[in-house]
Amino acid sequence: MDVEVVPVTGELNVGPQHPGSGHMRILVKLSGDIVDDVELDVGYVHRAVEKLGENRNYMHLIPLVERPAILDSVHMNMGYVMAVEKIINVDVPERALYLRSFAAEVNRIASHFYGIGILGIFLGHSTSFMWGFGDREIWVHILEALTGARVTNSYVIPGGVRRDISPSIIEMTKKAISYTRRKLNDWKKIFFNNPTIRARLENVGVMTKDQAIAWGAVGPNLRASGVYFDVRKAEPYAAYSKLDFDIPVYKEGDGYARSMVRLEEIEQSMRILEQIIKDIPQGPILSERFLKQIPPTRMKKWVEGQGRIVLPGYYASFRPPKGEATSRVEAGRGELMYYVMSDGSAKPYRLRMITPSYRLIYVFKNLCKGVRYADVVSIYGSLDYFPPEADR
Amino acid sequence: MDFISILRFYFFYPSFFDIIIFPGLILFAVILLTAIWFERKAAARVQMRVGPYYASKRSGGFLQLVADALKFVFSEMIIPDQVNPTLFVLAPALLLMISILPFAVVPVSIIPKSGSIFSPYFHDFYDPNIGMGVLSGFFTQYNLVLVLALEAIYPIFIIFMGWVTNNRFAILGSVRETMLSVSYDVLIFMATVSLALEFHTLDIAQIVQRGIPGILANPFAALVFFIGMLIGSSRFPFDIVEAETELVVGPATEYSGFLFVITMAPAYIGNFIYSFIFVDLFLGGWLPFTGLPGAAYTALKAVIVLFFSVFMRSVYGRYRLDQALRGSWKYLFPLSLFALIFGMVVGFLWIA
Amino acid sequence: MDSVKKEPKEYKKENPIGLFGDHLNAIATGLKYFAKPQRITLKYPEESIRLPTGYRGLIRLYKDVCIGCTLCAMICPADAMKMMTQEGKKLPIINYGRCVFCGFCVDICPVDALKETGVHDVAFSNRRDLIFDPDKFNKNYDVPFTGVVRKVRAEVDEKKGIRYVPDS
Repeated sequence: MDVEVVPVTGELNVGPQHPGSGHMRILVKLSGDIVDDVELDVGYVHRAVEKLGENRNYMHLIPLVERPAILDSVHMNMGYVMAVEKIINVDVPERALYLRSFAAEVNRIASHFYGIGILGIFLGHSTSFMWGFGDREIWVHILEALTGARVTNSYVIPGGVRRDISPSIIEMTKKAISYTRRKLNDWKKIFFNNPTIRARLENVGVMTKDQAIAWGAVGPNLRASGVYFDVRKAEPYAAYSKLDFDIPVYKEGDGYARSMVRLEEIEQSMRILEQIIKDIPQGPILSERFLKQIPPTRMKKWVEGQGRIVLPGYYASFRPPKGEATSRVEAGRGELMYYVMSDGSAKPYRLRMITPSYRLIYVFKNLCKGVRYADVVSIYGSLDYFPPEADR
Repeated sequence: MDFISILRFYFFYPSFFDIIIFPGLILFAVILLTAIWFERKAAARVQMRVGPYYASKRSGGFLQLVADALKFVFSEMIIPDQVNPTLFVLAPALLLMISILPFAVVPVSIIPKSGSIFSPYFHDFYDPNIGMGVLSGFFTQYNLVLVLALEAIYPIFIIFMGWVTNNRFAILGSVRETMLSVSYDVLIFMATVSLALEFHTLDIAQIVQRGIPGILANPFAALVFFIGMLIGSSRFPFDIVEAETELVVGPATEYSGFLFVITMAPAYIGNFIYSFIFVDLFLGGWLPFTGLPGAAYTALKAVIVLFFSVFMRSVYGRYRLDQALRGSWKYLFPLSLFALIFGMVVGFLWIA
Repeated sequence: MDSVKKEPKEYKKENPIGLFGDHLNAIATGLKYFAKPQRITLKYPEESIRLPTGYRGLIRLYKDVCIGCTLCAMICPADAMKMMTQEGKKLPIINYGRCVFCGFCVDICPVDALKETGVHDVAFSNRRDLIFDPDKFNKNYDVPFTGVVRKVRAEVDEKKGIRYVPDS
């Protein structure tokens, strides 16, 4: 029997004040329950970081570039500092590189837990929301002990890092690793193998390998589509060339593969942390060039006594030589690129940051075509799109 | 007869006592608060939190719900410009009334000929099938059919509410409710019919009085009924009509203040009434008690069923609409057909 | 690109029989946590965390130590710290409405005239109070709490995740 279906089309204005929109407006064009097209109205949290960057000096920018993604601040900070280091041409000591990797991996775990938690609440699974934030708390606590702040760490500075790791932090990390490994088993039972979650994520928002490359997806979303690409492997920075870790790559390219990649990256990050704890070399945590500018009495009191860098006056307003540099890091959500151009003054001539979430806007728009309305939030959550990071 | 005994007679008259006092409206109001409190507290336990705490620390924040209710009562009710204000206010009230209506015919206990506080009404509520009085608001021998019929009215008023609100999220929620209501009504209907065939009766009291809990006699029907109950009362994982991240709160999107409380209550009340039917049909009802203790025992079991179904919130996410429909038509409907045949066979062989 | 290229993994597809087991597993895990909750809530107004040494909380000034070198005002990313002249001496003032607690000023001070305190939860009734002149800035915020507040320390625990131990 043929039933004539009368098409019912309409628009639904989701956001910016909506529990499932985040800081943006999603204009959904519906035909029945099927999404014809979405229009993403982004920019509600635009803070002009790039323009502000032209009016601040180099040190002032460190707290600023973290702000777009405060839950991933070590990566945001590190990418910028790496670009600046290329301009001022300074070598970073080995121990500082390891510490950068340490902070970055702790931050990656925290960021992934956050992402999984948000995905959970988008699917109505409130337990994973609370667990995500609860288990993230442990890693944030480690960052707090290491850097002195929970999220806005400002930990990486040109030439090294600000604080040294202490035995108590190492002890804490070991405990946190063993706790998280055990908790992840329960995570799998209640979230990843939960039939409702699998039903909502499997075969939803499928992005093929070619599409992922063409649309410019990055990070876990790219790897879930079967592309073996990770900046940590492709262009090793910090201490990653000396560390042994795997890149989880999945073939399916759907929402479930994306969340599985995140889950396995948490496991890999913990593996990296264990290696760092074991292999971290002794030595200074700031480049020799800056270290010798610190007066000997203060050197003894702070740097040697408490493992804490006191900044020499150089940092207050340094003028790097003319030049330009780019840097890439693998942030929690994918490849993060900085371009810094110096004209010889105390302020950068141009600062460009291309954040992973920025590239997801196009991916999100494309993935939403032809899915059911309820899948919009599922795709949104599985992409781990973070509006402030995209808007900058 | 003096005045006191007349008063006593009418006070304990089942149509009043059962509907209003116990386990009727007053218990419903208490259970409603307790169920929401339990839902929050249980979710908090699973989710590494404490939950409601500061309003009455000794009882674990039980009064939080009273505080919330008070806050809602005194907050402003916003009536949108583009709606008919009368219908807008009427819709949740109608919904609440309709949701509580099926309880009138659900038997909660039996009345023995003597010895019980209800014994004076033995003859008024006499059930010839079991030879005893039945404690329910209104007794009919076909109460199983009547309960289902009354429950089936409820979705219409949710749709009415969505239509009256004139909001796109509300209308989408109503559309989801229309689709779901067909599927869960069929499931519940099939499950109860298989029990009716198995026990050769359309009288809930007679099914209970057989002494065989339906969950043993027909576990498949029990499973189908339980899932139908979860869908019917918008519990997780079928919280599809009110899906927060998709539809804000579905049909209740535009409601605020006290009207919002009224829109929230019917889902819990519906769930509680379904729990009563579930207890009667599948968990042995009031047996071995009679009279008031029997009613209390039935209510206790119904509360446990209700608590278990609200606990699902801390375990599940929500299914998509088409998945819930596919699940119910593709898997549960054949299962309910199987339960029907199973019930017929078992009823023929075992329960003569 | 790294030379090691691996085949992408595939997750195991759902099978209808295992589905029922997964449902039971999920409910069992929920019930397990319901029976034995693992709570990490800090009952904040009654308990409050003693922040670890090195925590970048509110900043205080040692007025007598300060040499007025203006480095702190120069490095401040948010222009929260400014210099003012008081009795012929240059001293920093801070506007906590702007401060982002990066701690650069503390790290760059050549004479340790600035110090981070372990306090971060303060409230002000108007914006003018957020600006600390050198005299107000000179006071210590590490006042011991009197009253019902219990000070606790957060510790990472292998079983519970975060554990709060009373701080003497």
